[in-house]
Amino acid sequence: MHHLVGRLSALDPEASESLRIVSYFDVLITRGAGLDGLLRGAAVLSGTVAGAEIRGRVSRRDPDGRSVTEAGGARRSAQMSHGDWTVWLERDGEPGPNDEMIMERLALGVELIEGRRRPVSGFDAVIDPARPLAERVTLLAKHRLDPSTPVRILATPADTAELGAPSAITPTRYGLLRATLDVFGKLAPPGPVGFGTWVRADRAPESWDAAIVALRLTDDDTPAVDASELGAMLLLAQAYDPRTPHEDVRALAGLDPRSADVLRTLVEADSIRSAAAELGMHHSTVQARHEALTHTLGYDPRSNIGRMRYIAAALLLRLTGPVDRGHSQQM
Amino acid sequence: MSLIVPRPPFDPELEAVLAVLGDRIPPTMTAEMIPGMRQAAPAEVTDEMLEASGLTRRDVAIPGYLGDEIAVSVVARRDHRGLGPGIYHTHGGGMVSGDRFSGLTQALPWVVEHDAVLVTVDYRLAPEHPDPYPVEDCYAGLLWTAEHARELGMDPDRLLIAGQSAGGGLAAGVALMARDRQGPALIGQVLMYPMLDDRDRTVSSAQFEGVGVWDRGSNAMGWTALLGERRGTDDVSVHAAPARASDLAGLPPAFIDCGSAEVFRDEDVAYATALWHAGVQAELHIWPGGFHGFDLTAPHTALAHAMTATRNAWVARTLGS
Repeated sequence: MHHLVGRLSALDPEASESLRIVSYFDVLITRGAGLDGLLRGAAVLSGTVAGAEIRGRVSRRDPDGRSVTEAGGARRSAQMSHGDWTVWLERDGEPGPNDEMIMERLALGVELIEGRRRPVSGFDAVIDPARPLAERVTLLAKHRLDPSTPVRILATPADTAELGAPSAITPTRYGLLRATLDVFGKLAPPGPVGFGTWVRADRAPESWDAAIVALRLTDDDTPAVDASELGAMLLLAQAYDPRTPHEDVRALAGLDPRSADVLRTLVEADSIRSAAAELGMHHSTVQARHEALTHTLGYDPRSNIGRMRYIAAALLLRLTGPVDRGHSQQM
Repeated sequence: MSLIVPRPPFDPELEAVLAVLGDRIPPTMTAEMIPGMRQAAPAEVTDEMLEASGLTRRDVAIPGYLGDEIAVSVVARRDHRGLGPGIYHTHGGGMVSGDRFSGLTQALPWVVEHDAVLVTVDYRLAPEHPDPYPVEDCYAGLLWTAEHARELGMDPDRLLIAGQSAGGGLAAGVALMARDRQGPALIGQVLMYPMLDDRDRTVSSAQFEGVGVWDRGSNAMGWTALLGERRGTDDVSVHAAPARASDLAGLPPAFIDCGSAEVFRDEDVAYATALWHAGVQAELHIWPGGFHGFDLTAPHTALAHAMTATRNAWVARTLGS
């Protein structure tokens, strides 16, 4: 069914495709794709040759994903450099509307790959559970932190400005996020933020994991969520893999907004009668909706266990991306 | 109660492509979507593309099943002289969609590289034309090709059949028909992620339901369009569903490839195994983390490069150039 899916090269080169570009690179980076994959992605999305020079070694790929070795006639229309590396697109004439975004994501991916190479790198290693404890402790010393110092990690969207504290953009199961070290409990970023739990500095990866969950639970009404306020629910949230949603989560995701509203009222109300009053519906109508919802969910949301399942599923649903919610799970 | 179906993950680059393109179609195609599937298809191979590759195209009306007229296109190099190898192409599209140019980009490099002459057929589609129309139309096209080989500039002793997806299943079915009816000799069959089995009984089918490209439900839709109520019953011929063939002896050498993350994986592996059991030469490649048709959807990826290069190498060895 390839002709229905289309081809990636068929993205409209004139339209802004920011979301698609971000999701393409997010998947590559979180799945650990290497430099060639990043360059192939940049080339196919921009429709022109993408290149990188890392510690003197040049790699270039064309939009067909092929390695390009002959000297390019086109100039480097967009370029970003940082320390050991430079990345660019080769294009004569006007830059494409997506060039800047593609460069930015390519640069981010290359920096993450390079960051992994540096044995004792920046702050990202402090929160990386894959790093040996000894390495993290050494690194903490560089930040003048004792392993037993209480710290917490903040999670903010990747495009949040740095907060004047050690910070790194880090791939997570929810895409790229910025992690920031908080020692004094005084950091207050302007946008959405998830505060991790307070832990010993040598257990910073646990705080980071909690901060990611907390950030997912923010919304317009509650832009800041502190993981320590989640209590035991944090354990449930951390055990959850949003790519394989539980049946209870899928059932909730499948409800239309009105049914979801009725369900929430049914769970919270003391009686069917008070739920009916709150919803402005007839008692027998609410009773019928209650029975229908019990059938749809596979449990009675007004029983003790049912309430528990509803609350857990509602929490986990908020940790689940829209793509993963339905049966049409893509990844 | 296990709620998590284990399945091989998509290759990272392919998963990135799915993240970007996956929202263009639902994983599960239903019968109601057939008209849209047919409309959505833009011409995959244009005359400009052929021109740029130094190729020419000629359309011919030929007799199909029961003598009804169907169309084929003959594609050859502009500078073609004498007799070259022949390629007979059956396109994909789930038995219900596509035309003779669908997926043709896979075979065009063989025409260029080996100075081959290619015939690609517009067989009639289900459900308007259920089994045996598609496979009989394809066989009629093969007969016409073999009968006119010399005038087409084709060496009749070097005729290869190739198809992808539903067209791969049709190619396998046509190869069986050619054997069973003492029809044209084939030097090989290129079965690209072929659709072979209507019975929906593999693990890979269960693993890819509601996920990826051309999932279990889509496949059930395609087979139902082709076979109607006969799907999954004893009343299905081996020519319609080659996975049912118990005797594969005497078939031409086969090349089979498929992704590990798609419905057709297990039936394609089983078909290669059955060919070996029957003493037929076969080459099988299962590409890790590949979704259905990824070489066409994501040709820039490392896995697509590897798949295409491996397939083209087999064709080169088989055409003996």
